[in-house]
Amino acid sequence: MLVEAFLYDGKSSKEHEVIIDFTFGRRVKIASHNIDVALEEIEIESRLGNTPRVLEFPNGIRCKTQENDKIDQLLLDFNINKSKTHKIESSLALTLGSVLLTIGFVWFMLTGGANYTANFLANILPQTTLDKMSRVTLEQLEEHMLKPSKLTKRQKGIIQAHFDKLADGDKCYKLHFRSAPQIGANAFALPSGDIVLTDQLVALSRDNDFRDILGVLAHEKGHVVHKHSLRMAIKTGLASVIIGYITGDISVVASTIPTVLINSSYSRDFEHEADENAVKEMKRLGVSTIYMANLFEALEKKSKSKESNSSLGSLLASHPLTSERIEYFKRHAN
Amino acid sequence: MEQLDREESEFKYFEFRGNASEYFRIWIVNIALTILTLGIYSAWAKVRTNRYMYANTYLNGSNFEYNADPIRILIGRIIVVSFYGLFVLFSQYLYKFEIAGGIALLAFILMPWLMRQAVSFKLRNTSYRNVPFRFEGKVSSFYGFFILHTILNIITFMLIFPYSYVKFKKLIINNAHYGDGDFEFNGKIGDAYAIYIQIFVWSTLFVMGVVASFGILGTMIGSIVDEELLTTLKETVNPEVISMLVGVGVLFIYIPFIFWNKGFIDGYFSNFVRENTTLNSSPLKGELRPFKLGVIAATNALAMFLSLGLLYPWAKIRYLKYKAEHTAFACSDYDQFESHGYVTGSTVGEEMIDFFDIDIGL
Repeated sequence: MLVEAFLYDGKSSKEHEVIIDFTFGRRVKIASHNIDVALEEIEIESRLGNTPRVLEFPNGIRCKTQENDKIDQLLLDFNINKSKTHKIESSLALTLGSVLLTIGFVWFMLTGGANYTANFLANILPQTTLDKMSRVTLEQLEEHMLKPSKLTKRQKGIIQAHFDKLADGDKCYKLHFRSAPQIGANAFALPSGDIVLTDQLVALSRDNDFRDILGVLAHEKGHVVHKHSLRMAIKTGLASVIIGYITGDISVVASTIPTVLINSSYSRDFEHEADENAVKEMKRLGVSTIYMANLFEALEKKSKSKESNSSLGSLLASHPLTSERIEYFKRHAN
Repeated sequence: MEQLDREESEFKYFEFRGNASEYFRIWIVNIALTILTLGIYSAWAKVRTNRYMYANTYLNGSNFEYNADPIRILIGRIIVVSFYGLFVLFSQYLYKFEIAGGIALLAFILMPWLMRQAVSFKLRNTSYRNVPFRFEGKVSSFYGFFILHTILNIITFMLIFPYSYVKFKKLIINNAHYGDGDFEFNGKIGDAYAIYIQIFVWSTLFVMGVVASFGILGTMIGSIVDEELLTTLKETVNPEVISMLVGVGVLFIYIPFIFWNKGFIDGYFSNFVRENTTLNSSPLKGELRPFKLGVIAATNALAMFLSLGLLYPWAKIRYLKYKAEHTAFACSDYDQFESHGYVTGSTVGEEMIDFFDIDIGL
């Protein structure tokens, strides 16, 4: 079979018009350049759209030909296996399949998929790894953010008693009282079951028996039960990888806005799940959820300046709007 | 010889023969295979994409070639992603700021070297008529450049940036070769300043124009709509909804503007580099219209947004085609270049540039 091509000898940029002869004896000949080599000695590039096909000869010689169909026929006739990617690309069914697969994958990942994958990974990670990670995190926090608690023995005693009832004998839950002027009124849970409660939050309590703090601790226990911090970490990672890959070079604007939105709605879901846990536990212990609602009202007053109440704000807020949560706990109080 | 002299002054335009539907298939199959192989195929996908773009770029009837080896790209990718992964792990989840800081510091110290590697990788994997491009810039010159210009820019509050830009282009282009041919960049610092000023002035005027026309539109609507309707509107429609609509509207103007601006700037600088670069004294020429390139970039972004990304191949081809076909080269003799042979080397620099989307503008 004869193929028209351009030959470049690899020594200079000169271009030579040549005819390549593929013989039945599996020889490749270019008469004008005294080339006569076995078919196995040349490297035929896989097809890519309709771009000129490159044939690599020994001694750095390359030939380029536009006759892609002839080359494909040749490979078939001589039984040479090449990358099948072009076959996929030229099949309408398979390209359509690729479109569906991609859209389906992105949709799945951005909706339930990330959740599912994160849960799966969170469940297969051994508890010892989680404990180690948590210990390191706690050590770092102790070093930079946390100070010893200034609560009285009586206060600690009441709260600890609540906590023990919540833990219900499960040794993995540990309560840490700390002062954290930088963090402010807050409580947080680590995957290991360590829960940190700040003096600043206790200071906001409006109940002498700290039944509102019991609610907060139940909420934090919910985060541990559902492995929220780990799921959050995995989701953030997944979302940014997907969006980064799909958008390719659409730089920062396009790739950060969606992650922010996804992340905040995720953590809203988590907060809600933890709130549900709080309601469940408080009911189990026979404590009214009204104390939780009261505490949130106090919190809201404190941070009125920061929180926006508009609907755009609610869309972007990483916690469900405090007013929504107050409503939620009030509803369950009856 | 007479014939050669006659050809000398003739500018030939680059030609781009890629088309959107062909590239769409390559692109979507690349993504699907990358998903199915959990990301490993991405290295092959990169090679296939680049091969397609290079092979469809023609000059004087011959096309370019992309020769990178996907296995090496995969290794480079794994190294870069692991380092970044470690950094994120230590800084965001374990709070070991000393280790995370150490990784960041290491990356910062290696940056000039990695930059040089990336430039070298791009050039030596590009060939034309079986003669590869080469880069001979020294690692020490890159360190010298980055140390000196970081300090200068800090001291002068970035006022010296156009000067640094010209120096950087010189560092790259003057060390670039095509076979035994030498590239040379002769851009003037004054011209670079002029471009920065033009970009600043036009961008500002553009924004002001948009704001003014919206203001006029607003008052026009205000004068048509009577008071009564306005008050009923105020009572019935939630003010939150209005503020949200305004926010979304601003986003719809602001984001296309960012893309327009990106294309606009690219147009100016692409012309500047082309106009001042020669290969063995044969000149390149840039005839891009920055405003038009900006419009292409903005409408591309809009098309991608509305098609949920599916028009990305069309947008990419459209942009590259415009840039290639408004670039010309006047070569006296296309056969004159002697090859120095193909060389292989590390891909870490290239993959770092790729991963963090750093634009070194080659």
